Parts: sequence; C-alpha cells; structure tokens
Amino acid sequence: MPNGESLTSVRPVEAGRTDRAPQRRPLPPGGASRRRRGGRRRERLAPYILLAPAVLIIVLLRLWPLVLGVNFSFTGDGDRDGTVVGLDNYRELFADPLFRGALRNVGLLVLLLPVAVAIPGLLATFIYLRVPGHRLYRSAYFFPAVLSPVIVGAIFNLLLAFDGPLNAVLGGVGIGPTDWLGDPDVAMFVVVGVHVWATFGMGLVVFLAGFATLDASLLDAARVDGASLPQTIRHVIVPSLSRTIQFVFVTTMIGMLTSMFGLLYVMTSGGPEGSTYLPEYYIWIQQGQMNRPALASAASTVLFLVMLVVGLLQISLLRRAVREV
Amino acid sequence: MSRIRPGGWLLAVPMSLLALATIYPMVFTVNVAMKTRREYILDRFSLADAVRWENIATAWSSVGLGRYLVNSVVVVVASVVLLLLVGSMAGFALGQLRFRGSSALFLGCLAALFAPFQVIMVPLARIMADAGLVDTYPGLVLAYVAQFLPFTIFLMTSYYRTIPTEIIDAARIDGNSVYGVYRRIMLPLGAPALLSVGILNALFCWNDVLISLLLMPSAEHRTLMVGVTSLRGQYSADIPTFASGVLIAAIPVLVIYLFLQRQIADGVAAGSTKG
Repeated sequence: MPNGESLTSVRPVEAGRTDRAPQRRPLPPGGASRRRRGGRRRERLAPYILLAPAVLIIVLLRLWPLVLGVNFSFTGDGDRDGTVVGLDNYRELFADPLFRGALRNVGLLVLLLPVAVAIPGLLATFIYLRVPGHRLYRSAYFFPAVLSPVIVGAIFNLLLAFDGPLNAVLGGVGIGPTDWLGDPDVAMFVVVGVHVWATFGMGLVVFLAGFATLDASLLDAARVDGASLPQTIRHVIVPSLSRTIQFVFVTTMIGMLTSMFGLLYVMTSGGPEGSTYLPEYYIWIQQGQMNRPALASAASTVLFLVMLVVGLLQISLLRRAVREV
Repeated sequence: MSRIRPGGWLLAVPMSLLALATIYPMVFTVNVAMKTRREYILDRFSLADAVRWENIATAWSSVGLGRYLVNSVVVVVASVVLLLLVGSMAGFALGQLRFRGSSALFLGCLAALFAPFQVIMVPLARIMADAGLVDTYPGLVLAYVAQFLPFTIFLMTSYYRTIPTEIIDAARIDGNSVYGVYRRIMLPLGAPALLSVGILNALFCWNDVLISLLLMPSAEHRTLMVGVTSLRGQYSADIPTFASGVLIAAIPVLVIYLFLQRQIADGVAAGSTKG
C-alpha cells in the first residue's frame, strides 16, 4: 500500500495516544519505534485504505454519471450541444410514439409481473412439498437462467422463425402458421414469454432459499387440520414467505426493465413497427444509432424514476408487512 | 415420500413437461449444429446421423468467433480478478472492522445498486471517451467492475460478518497487521464466498451484450456475445452453421453449469436471504 506508507512518513503521530502494548515503552526512540507508531496510524487508516478502490470506482463510474446524466438531459443535442434547453428533451420524449410505446410496454410488464412471480413461486412450493421427481426439476428450471439473453434470443429466433420448427409442428396438427416475431400484436408477448422462460429459474432458486427458512411444523399442523393444498399455500406459505415474495417481485421487475436488451436486440430490434420497444432499447438507439445523447439521457432519467418508484413501493410494502407481524 | 398426497403425480406430469421445455431448446440447437443443411431442411427434428464438426469449424474460423472468444476470456478474467480483490477488501473492512462512517459507506455502495447501467450509460460512455478508454480492454474491464462491484461488496460484507471477530483478535495478538489479517486469514476464509461470487460475476460479464456493444465498437475487440449477434445476418440461410456459432458461445456456460450449479444457485440465494 504505497499510499499508507507516504501518509505516515509525512504526518507524525499525534501526541497523547495511549499505547496498549506495554513492552513497547522501553524501546529506544528513533527508527524502530517510529516505524511502529507509523504502523499504528496506518492500522487506524486501514479500513479507509481497504475501501478506497471500491469507493473510487463506485463514485466515479456509478454515482457521478448519474448526476451527470440528469444534468445532461436538460441540455441540447447536435447544434445545441452544451446549451441549456430546459424541458425540451422531455417534451420531445413524450411526444415520440416510440417512447410512448416503450412506456406502454412497461405497463404491460407491470401487468404480467404477478404471473412472472407466481410461476416460480408455485413451482418452488411443489418442489418443497416433494412432488415426485422433485430432485430433478431445479437443475432443469435453473438452466436457462445462466444463458446469455443473446444465446436465448438466437435459439428462439431459430425455433420461432416463420418457416421454423414451431410453425412446422403447429402446421402438423392443423394450426396455421403465426409470424411470432413479425406480427406487432404478438411480438411483445412472445419476447416477454421468452424472457420469463429464461429467468423464472432465478426466482425459483430465491423461493427455495426462502422455503429453507420456513418452519416445517406449521405445514404439519396444517395437514393435521386437514387443510387442502390451496388453503395451505394461502394461509401458511404466503404469510411466512412475505419477505421472499416481495424480494422476487422487485428483482423480477428490475430484471424486466433492465435485462431484456439482449433479447430485443437479437429477436426483434424493437420491431415490428416499433411494437417491442422498451425504455432501455430506446436509450440505446438514441445514444448509439441516432447520436442523440441528451435525448437518451432524458429517457434514462425517466427510467430511473420508474425504478425509484418500484424501490419505494418495495419499502412501503415491507413496512406494512412488518407492521402486520 | 411426497408431502403432496394423491394429487402429487398429477402435478409431476406438467412439471416434467416444463423441465423438458427448459432443456429442449438447447438440445435442439446442439442437434442442429451437427446436421448438414440438407438434413435440416428435410427434417428439423430428426437426430443428426453423425457427430459432425464441420459447421463448428466454419463458425469458428469464418466468422472469427475464435478471436471474439479470446477477447471475452481476457476481459472476463481481468474483471473477475479485480472484482474479487476490490470487493473482498471492501467487504472485509465493512464486515469486520469498526470505524467511523462504515454504515454510511455501506449504504452508499447499496445505493449504487439502484442505478442500473441503462440509467448511467450515456454519461459513462462520455467519461470513457474523454479518458481515451473506449475500444480498449481496460475500459471494458473498468465498466464491468463498476457495474458488478456493489453486488460483490454486498455479498462479501454479509459473508465476512458471519466470521467471528475472535479470529481477527487472535491473529492480531500473533502480530499480524490489518493487511496481514486480510491476506493470511480473510482471503482463505472467504474462499467459498469468493468462489460463488466469482462464478456469478464471470457469468454476468460473459453474458453481457449492452456494455460491450457500447464500449467496444470495433470488430477486432468484439466480445463473443456481440459476435454471436452478427451471426444472424450472415447465416440466416445456413441454420446449422448459425446453431454452431450459438453452441460455441454457450459451451463454456454449459460446462460451468454442469460442474458448479450449486455454487451459482448459492450465490443467487445468498443475495436474497441476506437482504
């Protein structure tokens, strides 16, 4: 740690410090004890030195850009680069049908959120209750969660192509072909479906970790009382796992808002007719393709606000749950 | 013994079908990668009649996936090593040492979790460009470290909190400095957590496409996942070669999943239960 070294040699240790080690006193003043005392100071600074790289990286590359971005969203693009334009970017943003479509799709995701949480929740419940074969399911269900969205998207491009295998199978049983990724009324549902297929394993693992903390005697009691499976889920499992459920809600929502880029990029590129835009894809297009960084910053700020609302909602839900207990 | 009585087997049927649905697309891709074009057009679902490597060789050499793979490995290894080093230092300080401002610093790290990459990507691209780090390995590595550091610190801090402080005290009495404690005791003791967090971070970096697209624009520095996205345009008519490219990109993850599935799941679970 060169930093610590230079600090101690420049600044002497302050007086009046109590030494804990008594055998230190007889040491002659000068070199050795100086280094020792310098070492003590270094020890006290140690936590800060250990944290310095982390703080530096997080402040410079995470928190500072956040401030910069909000600032940036009030300035202009192109000819007006660097000049303050007030709310112009936001006005343009909300007038842009593509961005409005992206926000509508966010609304759709919010509506589908309970389904995306219920699927891993129910499956984890069945696995916990030892459905026949319960040892095998987790490995299978969790598998797509480790694959890159790019790989998942590429595989489904192949499966869902108009002349691809899925339509061939459906054709075999007499169902006409659907243009899964080319029909604006269908494409967004397909992409969200693929996202859920790829990520429900994450939620499942989190739920199973939650079940590990569940008091099994409650379940036995419910069984002795003759509770049916739906009754057990509603009155025993859901209340006991309320924290886990909320955690999965929030992480699933954040996942939907921030990790579908790869799928959109590979599967639809925002099309057909802009029907599969999400804010993150819009930001990418404006920044990378249209050279409109200030407009992209405004979209980023809106996305950040949406995520903040999700976070605050989580906190208020948690508080209410704690009060109920 | 099933705790779900009579109906248990009724549930097992749809759950098995779902398990099949999560595995089959990958199996399908592997099978297609082994087929000839003619074989694929005649019957998409039949088993390949031989294990063929030609398509894989084509994807490897003509698209340049080999080069992209090297880029990915370099960036992922450097990022994970840095993440574990910086993250364990910070986690040790926050989880084991008592000092003024520790809880504020911990909360500051957590706050960064709420600013996802999409929110900071425009100014970050500008900062990187100003620093001359766009289209360089260090630039992408720094971006990955910044992206996954808060999560790493969070997990390492929770892990180090579970280690009794008596261990540190004993080591201090033996004459170790704080740094000595970190190097000789905390790093080895943290091995299980470092392994879990390291694998998760490796997966995150390996699977990323957005950060890489943004910061590595030139073809020679492309990472593997970005390389895979370019397959589609080139091989839209040659599905077996396309599938081979996808397979090349998926193989490292498949291998990691086969051997280290438990550590991955543990890492995900730790992130949820310690919150």
